[in-house]
Amino acid sequence: MGLEVIPNKLQNNRLNSFGIMHTQEIDHKNIYYPPGGILIWIIIFLELITFGATLVVMVYYGNQESELFHDSSLKLNATYGMVNTMLLLTSGFFMAISVTELKRGNKETFKKLLLFAMLFGCFFLCLKGFEYYEKINEGISIGYNTFFSFYWMLTLFHVIHVIVGLVILTSVYFGMKKENSNTVIEDVEASAAFWHMCDLIWIILFPIIYLLF
Amino acid sequence: MHKTAAITWIVLLVLTLASALFSKLESKYVILVILILAALKFLGIVFQFMEMKKAHVFWKVLIIGFLVLFVIALLIMV
Repeated sequence: MGLEVIPNKLQNNRLNSFGIMHTQEIDHKNIYYPPGGILIWIIIFLELITFGATLVVMVYYGNQESELFHDSSLKLNATYGMVNTMLLLTSGFFMAISVTELKRGNKETFKKLLLFAMLFGCFFLCLKGFEYYEKINEGISIGYNTFFSFYWMLTLFHVIHVIVGLVILTSVYFGMKKENSNTVIEDVEASAAFWHMCDLIWIILFPIIYLLF
Repeated sequence: MHKTAAITWIVLLVLTLASALFSKLESKYVILVILILAALKFLGIVFQFMEMKKAHVFWKVLIIGFLVLFVIALLIMV
């Protein structure tokens, strides 16, 4: 049975217990269906609260040891941070337009744009890896001082999220590549929401770690 | 839709550049400006890229509430 895609209307295509595909519209205005689904948004809020609270604690310690935090932040390269922000934002842009293309029924364009989103995510990881390599070569590890304990902890957790996001997007890409794909638009939206969550976390990490002190 | 997304993307890049440039200035308002620019970028991603503009008002209030609380907590701690 073919998959009918109506522009600007979200559809949830699933096989029922008799193996018959049925289609139902997703109403994002409904409180239970934010874009990507309620579960991914619960995860997003939990992640934002966790990272947000840790950043507030970091700023509190920064106030207590202002000289140490200022000197330590000078050891970071803000240009790397800025370029990494731009790479993630570019990846997020490709992700957003890829989802729009899928909703329009352009599966091939969706796949190409998804690859671009993943590519910029990989560029982010490469630059982050280079930055970590430099820091380790300078002898700045997780126990160097309070500032760098926060730096390593927060950025490494973020990197783990980006890697998990890339794994999810890869799975979506290969899922959509299959002839009889059972990947539904809601799955793609949830994956996109997770990917954008990595942008959101970085958007609040970057100014505090690289610019504030 | 792509036009809106492209405009949002360019604005986000410009705001990122602006926050890096503002951080070099010697002023007591630098922290406030950096936080406001970060908050604007946050809203741009949530409402345009994540399509939260289409969601129920409950989710919009929740995400804006988080952002406001986070910025206030940071300003208190600074």
